Amino acid sequence: MANRVASLAHQFDDPEQQRTASNLGIWLFLATEILFFGVLFAAYAITRVRFPEAFAAASRLTNLPLAGTNTAVLVTSSLTMALAVHAAQRGARPALVGWLSLTVALGCAFLAIKAVEYRLDYLEHLVPRLGFHYAGAQADQVELFFYMYFFITGVHALHVLVGIGCIATIAVMASRNAFSPAYFTPVDVTGLYWHLVDIIWLFVFPILYLVSRS
Amino acid sequence: MINRTYTHPKVYVLVWLVLLALLALTIGSAFLSLGWANTPLNLAISVTQAALVMLFSMHLRSAHPLLRIIAVIGFFGIAILVSLSLFDVLAR
Repeated sequence: MANRVASLAHQFDDPEQQRTASNLGIWLFLATEILFFGVLFAAYAITRVRFPEAFAAASRLTNLPLAGTNTAVLVTSSLTMALAVHAAQRGARPALVGWLSLTVALGCAFLAIKAVEYRLDYLEHLVPRLGFHYAGAQADQVELFFYMYFFITGVHALHVLVGIGCIATIAVMASRNAFSPAYFTPVDVTGLYWHLVDIIWLFVFPILYLVSRS
Repeated sequence: MINRTYTHPKVYVLVWLVLLALLALTIGSAFLSLGWANTPLNLAISVTQAALVMLFSMHLRSAHPLLRIIAVIGFFGIAILVSLSLFDVLAR
């Protein structure tokens, strides 16, 4: 009996209850994350409503090809993460390690593309306080857009970095045979976090890059 | 033993394809002159994408009702935060 539920902490009646408790915990955390980014979105909405022309002009200066590619990369990493969780459910260890590694690689690709984008922004004098220069009208308000652009994308990139660290850790644990179909909560919970980071980007992308392209 | 029916990998691949199609749609629509409708359309596509990820990839479709309530509360909180903040700005 004890062996059957080796991964069951003593305060739980059965593995299902333990799993539900873990899921409840991560969803509560994700709700606070949603609210955290919500504050940034609210600040963005207020400034955009006040300075629509400046935000339209500023958004056209962002790098849409790189950001669009990055969106596809992150959406794909969400797929590989979902397949990793599926592999964990089936107890397929090589597949689990493989999908997790691929997710880490795609997360790193996202950050690499973001770094290239930041470098191009710097060269185009779009970084506030670091040689920002805009020749058109409402230069201060355009700079305000770029404060928001760097803060929102920066905080999001930090979340991607944390996610990469978590997934890499899970991959090492998986390769050491730490999970089974009866217990794979860390994979499940890390997957939920990663999907949320993906969802947040799906909102960040249009509000920063697609304001006024037509 | 509730919540033990696993999602088939085909579903994840299908969701992925739909997400990429919606990405193409949101970028494409941004280049059309739709006036005030551009932004609501972009956001509606984002909400659809988020709903797909939450229902299928994050398993909310088959999750405990408590988890679904918590997930919705987060977005409900954002809606209140943004709309009430905007009321203030727009009413000045």
